Amino acid sequence: MNASGTSATTKEALSNVNVTAALDVEGNVPLESVQIDGLVVLKIIKHCREFFPSPVTGQLLGLDVNGVLEVTNCFPFPGSKADDENELVDGARYQVDMMRCLREVNVDNNTVGWYQSTYLGSFVTHKLIETQYNYQQTFNNKSVVIVHDVSRSTHGNLSLRAFRFSQAFMEAQKEGKFTTESLIKNKLTFSNIFEELPITVKNSHLVTALLHSLDDYEHIIPTTLDKDTVVSPLSPNFDTLELSLDPYIEKNLEFLLEAVEEHTQEQNTYAFWQRSVVREQAKIQTALQKRKQENASRLASGQESLPEDDILKMFKLPAEPSRLDSLLITSQINNYCKQLNQYSGPTLGKLFTAGELQK
Amino acid sequence: MPIDAATSALNLSFPPTTSATGFVVPQSRSFTVSVNPVVLFSILDHYLRRQEKQHRVIGTLLGVRSEDGSEVEVRNCFPVSHDETKDNQVAVDMEYHRNMFELHKKVNAKEVIVGWYATGSNLNQWNALIQDFYSREVMPPFQAIHLTMDTDLKNDEKLLGVKTYVSAPIGISAKPENCLFLPVPCDVKYFDAERSGLDLLASAKNDINRSTSLISDMDNLEKTIVAVQEMLERVTEYVNKVLDGSIPANNTIGRFLMDTISVVPKIDKVEFEKMFNGHLQDLLMVSYLANMTRTQLAIAERLQLLV
Repeated sequence: MNASGTSATTKEALSNVNVTAALDVEGNVPLESVQIDGLVVLKIIKHCREFFPSPVTGQLLGLDVNGVLEVTNCFPFPGSKADDENELVDGARYQVDMMRCLREVNVDNNTVGWYQSTYLGSFVTHKLIETQYNYQQTFNNKSVVIVHDVSRSTHGNLSLRAFRFSQAFMEAQKEGKFTTESLIKNKLTFSNIFEELPITVKNSHLVTALLHSLDDYEHIIPTTLDKDTVVSPLSPNFDTLELSLDPYIEKNLEFLLEAVEEHTQEQNTYAFWQRSVVREQAKIQTALQKRKQENASRLASGQESLPEDDILKMFKLPAEPSRLDSLLITSQINNYCKQLNQYSGPTLGKLFTAGELQK
Repeated sequence: MPIDAATSALNLSFPPTTSATGFVVPQSRSFTVSVNPVVLFSILDHYLRRQEKQHRVIGTLLGVRSEDGSEVEVRNCFPVSHDETKDNQVAVDMEYHRNMFELHKKVNAKEVIVGWYATGSNLNQWNALIQDFYSREVMPPFQAIHLTMDTDLKNDEKLLGVKTYVSAPIGISAKPENCLFLPVPCDVKYFDAERSGLDLLASAKNDINRSTSLISDMDNLEKTIVAVQEMLERVTEYVNKVLDGSIPANNTIGRFLMDTISVVPKIDKVEFEKMFNGHLQDLLMVSYLANMTRTQLAIAERLQLLV
């Protein structure tokens, strides 16, 4: 196995794409999928687990080759305690230091996105929006956020999802206003804030060798009835068959209720705004009417008419509240519902299996 | 690299059990080492990204010790660049090592330096020198652990030849390049949350492209159920064979089976029916409501675009 000096050539050797495609320097090919190294998967899981349930973030390093974003390494960000200035400066310095250190040992030194842990899929927040917007702005749309759900992963199936903002959302965010008008203009609804990219996981040859040797690491030898029999690290995993479904659904519904409540509040704010707009408009109308009558009587008495524009200046229509919140909340509600559906399907299957077993 | 007989380093290997009892070794306390898979993955990644013409790589191991010091968990590691020269000299980038450790400490303050790793299964005089350096980096009452991993894949060893050692000084006057490496038992340990990740990675190991994609919950469930069915079939086949008398009965297996069967809970039929129906209704209700909400959201979305 020959190791190449620079990371770029290593990447070429690792991926089976042709050279011309790999040298897509301008980055014209849009991203279509994300390919994660096994190491990154484990690192993300480790970081997220250690700080569970508080959310954590980290940086993803790699390269985009021919529409495939290859994530080959990552490092965690230190947990933030307070939102003071020092913290931000420290965070930036940490990032720079870490990148420099990693470059010295030939790790891919190219930011391709970031990752975040979440609890039951509640990841659509303002913070995520801001960070991802910054990333996507800086890295020319070639950046993703990978969301790892710790609580779902303990149910036996790894939950990793890669997202990026759609073009429509990027434009709306660039303008910085989320009025009904701009939403319609950009055709932005809750379902097209994010674009989800498919994830594949790839292992290096050495890791494949390691996995094979992990597999036949220690076999259960049926000679003793020792309770602590060493089980192979990769023995079949039956966590998926766990029947305790109540806590998960309960928590999910709780979150869903919260989200719906927030949504109602948003609706109320919006309705309030609409009412006040109607009221102000009525006021303007009456004032205009009054002025017109006045003008008519002034004309009749041979005086000059008063201008009508200054009335419009006297009244100010209240500004429309940002629709971003309600957009995010609906997207969150949609997520919860999807999650519930995704969960209830297999659980139904499990229930019937258990039912058959009892007969 | 073969060991030169003229060097002053010693390589001794004892079976792990006798190392603590058979020899009087200063400050030897028996302990075991457990390694998180992420460490092994990192080491391999580091090895893949080594400099040209570099034969092996080293790095620092981070981890936690249990309170009584009987177990060391290696949880993390980072690479350190080093340079081996012919005349018994080794340069380890200490500044880099310190910087990296400081950075790691910011993220997880609990993890301390517990030792170092090197690829290649040989122990030579450089190992002794580096070990000496790391012994001073580790908190005083404890010893530095040295982990080796065989990346050449030449030996048919389990777990890619992952071995852990502690060192003991040797000779009348202790010199840094003289030391005795004592093997310590070591195993791979991971947490429940990492389980699903490892499973996914393992599913790629027989793939020709060495890659796999994430599967949905439903597919995962199907896979698991198929696995259970296969196991049941195998057990049934075995039991039938024993009953036929075609293979002799193994008492231990029999007892295992007995244990397994006794674990299956016996629930009253009426009771079960009640529980089953209750859960079923809950579930159907929840999924109905969830679908309903989604439909409403979809309608709202369409209306918004119509305006």
